[in-house]
Amino acid sequence: MQNIARTLQERNIVVVTLLCCIVFYVLSPRFLSVDNMSAISRQIVPIGLIMLGQFFVIVSGNIDLSLGMASVLFAVVLGVFFGLTGGVGIGLLAVIVASLAMGFVNGALVAKLRLPAFIVTLSTLFVAQGLSGLIISRGQQIFLMGGFFQWAGSEKLLGIYLSVWFLIALGGLAYVVYNHTRIGAAIIAIGNSEDNAKLAGINVDRVKIGVFMFSGLCSGFAGIMLSTRMGFVQPGLDGNGLLLDAIAAIIIGGTLIQGGRGTIGGALWGVAFIGIINNALNLLNVEDVWHQVFKGLVILAALGVNWLLWQSRQSEAH
Amino acid sequence: MKFTSTTALGLVLGAAMGTTAFASDGKLDIVFINDGHVAPYHVAWLSGFEDAIAAYDTAFPDTKITGRWLSAEGSLEKMIQQAEVTINEKPDVMFVNAINVDAFEPLVAKAKAAGIVWIAVHSPMESADYSFTLGDVENGKNQGLAMCALSGGKPFNVAIMLGQAGNPSGDARHQGILEGIKTCDNVKVVAEQPADWDTVKAQTLAENWMTQFPDLNAISGVTDGYMYPSIAIAANSGRTDLQFYGYDGDIPIIQQMEGGQVKADILLSGTREGWNFVQMAYRIHMGQEVEKVYDFFTPLVMSDENYALALKNGFPADIEVYNVAKALDVAAKGDIEFGPDSVK
Amino acid sequence: MTSISTSTTPRLSGLSLRYLVLLGLIVIASVGFGLANENFYSLTNFGILLRSIAVLFLVSMGMTFVMLTGGIDLSVGSNVAFSGGVGVITLTTTGSAPLGFAAAVLAGMAIGAINGVFIGRLRLSAFMVSLATYALARGLALVIYDANSINVSNAAFLWLGGVSWGSMPVVIPFVVVVFVGLSVLLYNTPFGRNVYAAGANFNTSFVLGRRPERTLVWIYVLSGALAGLSAIVTVGRVSSGQPWSGLYLEFDAITAVILGGTSLFGGRGRLLGTILGVLLYGIIINGLVLTGTNPYLQSLIKGMILLGVVLLDTWTQRGKTS
Repeated sequence: MQNIARTLQERNIVVVTLLCCIVFYVLSPRFLSVDNMSAISRQIVPIGLIMLGQFFVIVSGNIDLSLGMASVLFAVVLGVFFGLTGGVGIGLLAVIVASLAMGFVNGALVAKLRLPAFIVTLSTLFVAQGLSGLIISRGQQIFLMGGFFQWAGSEKLLGIYLSVWFLIALGGLAYVVYNHTRIGAAIIAIGNSEDNAKLAGINVDRVKIGVFMFSGLCSGFAGIMLSTRMGFVQPGLDGNGLLLDAIAAIIIGGTLIQGGRGTIGGALWGVAFIGIINNALNLLNVEDVWHQVFKGLVILAALGVNWLLWQSRQSEAH
Repeated sequence: MKFTSTTALGLVLGAAMGTTAFASDGKLDIVFINDGHVAPYHVAWLSGFEDAIAAYDTAFPDTKITGRWLSAEGSLEKMIQQAEVTINEKPDVMFVNAINVDAFEPLVAKAKAAGIVWIAVHSPMESADYSFTLGDVENGKNQGLAMCALSGGKPFNVAIMLGQAGNPSGDARHQGILEGIKTCDNVKVVAEQPADWDTVKAQTLAENWMTQFPDLNAISGVTDGYMYPSIAIAANSGRTDLQFYGYDGDIPIIQQMEGGQVKADILLSGTREGWNFVQMAYRIHMGQEVEKVYDFFTPLVMSDENYALALKNGFPADIEVYNVAKALDVAAKGDIEFGPDSVK
Repeated sequence: MTSISTSTTPRLSGLSLRYLVLLGLIVIASVGFGLANENFYSLTNFGILLRSIAVLFLVSMGMTFVMLTGGIDLSVGSNVAFSGGVGVITLTTTGSAPLGFAAAVLAGMAIGAINGVFIGRLRLSAFMVSLATYALARGLALVIYDANSINVSNAAFLWLGGVSWGSMPVVIPFVVVVFVGLSVLLYNTPFGRNVYAAGANFNTSFVLGRRPERTLVWIYVLSGALAGLSAIVTVGRVSSGQPWSGLYLEFDAITAVILGGTSLFGGRGRLLGTILGVLLYGIIINGLVLTGTNPYLQSLIKGMILLGVVLLDTWTQRGKTS
């Protein structure tokens, strides 16, 4: 029963996504062109990376609101270090260190001090927003053209952008860790019941901190991808929009928001779905104002499906 | 510029107020309330304003010149609160880039009663002491005319990125661009959509347009903020043939004009505008005559090569055009046109 | 049942101490900003301060009910924009201010009802549900306004948010009336007892037949109604309907409520604390504006205040329990 519900949920999003593709193709034949598909694939990379980090946080029964704004902060960090030293390596290193540190702070506050994750990460969202403007002189933009940035933003391997390969690779790694390691099992156990996880001998605090550090790192990667894509960095980019898209993708992908269950494949389909919708709304010249209504409705609908899934699980338990 | 009797009267009143309000004390306190602080144009604007304050204060030791800026971060509520608080502070001059001018009528009256000179920024206000305006329609039209002249007479497809729906500046620029394009038959607008002054949105839009219209020749925008991400994504997609027509005169965009993909830009330049504010406030302070509706001087920018080509293709010779070197010079150093030397 | 009643007695004394601390902080913050700026104490400035935080008072009182049950309502800011839009459009089409008022409040309640049903009935995470309505209500606001602002000149409609008696904005007595009304509701009715009970322990109160799921639905409807009232005040203040009004309002409200001593885990807190929390937070925000603080620094300070208060709360509570 459990497997049926789960498979159904995952299949649903695949079927819905493919149906959407057919409809959009009929409405605008250019939709299925190779160019357009590779444009979509490149657009979803930052959302996909944030999604991967958020996925583990949600499965472990928490939430990380800071990820979107943090990715903007880390894009700026990269720009500032690159601007100061002219070195890409030192910039990337700074982003990785800073993003792990931010994840550690979030995780430690949540795990050790038992503070609610959404309050902690809501505060760090604003801290990240403030810092992104303060570490860059007068809030100016920094250009990242040429060299590494051009290469990372435009190079293709086997017809697929490098940034997309990066998302696929990290997604694959996450899949293996989630499904085939004790860490993955521990995260699921904590999401199901913290007390039981403790009884089973899992070091709950350490796993939680690790999960937040990974989500921080993912926002760092998203920041790097954002900057290579944009060709410049600037504080005050719309990070919260990325966050909302990532959370929507996770819910649409059938992850149980109460924690304890979800599939990475489903969540990745959710990301693709969001990317396709965003692209099609542009292609079909749908007025911009409708985009957000649509997103709100999709999340609510997915929450409804989520509820049904939860119900089926409850009845199983009894 | 045409003068109606009311503007003439306002001019006299404004000049009179200027002399009576400040001549007695040696201080000039300027507050600039802006609608935002994040977009590249805003950043340059506020920096230029800060630099000019410092330069004027040093250049005129008799007058203590101070100033600060506030950002309403796009919120009208916040802007009204900031204006109320500022009026209570009694500075000498307020520049207000109102998000909605009608909402500020009561505050203009309050400021006047407190002896504060109110300068409406961009959207003119009849009740304000002065209005600092941009020729948005005319500038937009110049951009369109440049596109016509540089399109080479062949069929030419352009997509236009607009401002937030309902934004008066964005709408005026859009109207102007269309007027300019209408003067030739070969340029066709294949798409236009708002990107809400947002760089990420602009990039996605540019990328989607490039795949949707493989025969797209140019992207036109109502702000240079759209140009940065669009140029980057065009480069990353190998579309080095695509032309760009900008608006704002941001330095990094002008730098890409010599032999680059950006063909024309409107030289507002945030730095220049910030410096011009302080110059204007100082001139009012000194009792000089300042037009009640002050028009910011904003020439078109083209490379020498493109300008020569444009002239050959019938671009009107009476439109003021700066070449790249000159534009970069005045955009980077606001004091060339609006520094203390300009009022000494 | 016993667990609820025993927690009542220490709760009051702990909170009274907190209110004294808050009052002290309000004084300190005022003196600090007063030293930085001579105009801080003017009567006019006080009027401006009160008027600019009037909306925060209203929304935060609704948020207090929500947070007493251990929930959260992220949709209030977007709801202010949406319900304001419905009110203004009703006003401009019918020309009737009362109809406009009613429409705004009903629209706010409708969004609240969506939250309430999903959170109360389906027992879904308040956070996720209100995040969805946060996007939905903002999107609907943009759609009905067509992303454009609408000017309002109807004097009756603008009265509540726009008019002042001398330095006293009309909206402040209105906030006081709402405060008294909500206090009666919270402390003197069975509904109020259910609010505390649902927050203290949802399952126990379910077993006791208090119907906490129904209480939850009404609490989110109430929060939506207060967003609708806030929308009317906002429209009056800016004499126009704005699709982007209320941005980040939910964050300010959550911070103010937590400052006021309401527990993040529900069951503990009072409306008076929220009033003091809004005052302190309002003074700080107003002071930052007055002193022309860099907006990025303002974000940083806001984030630090929220984190600092939560940390302090946890430490003091730890100290007590151990």
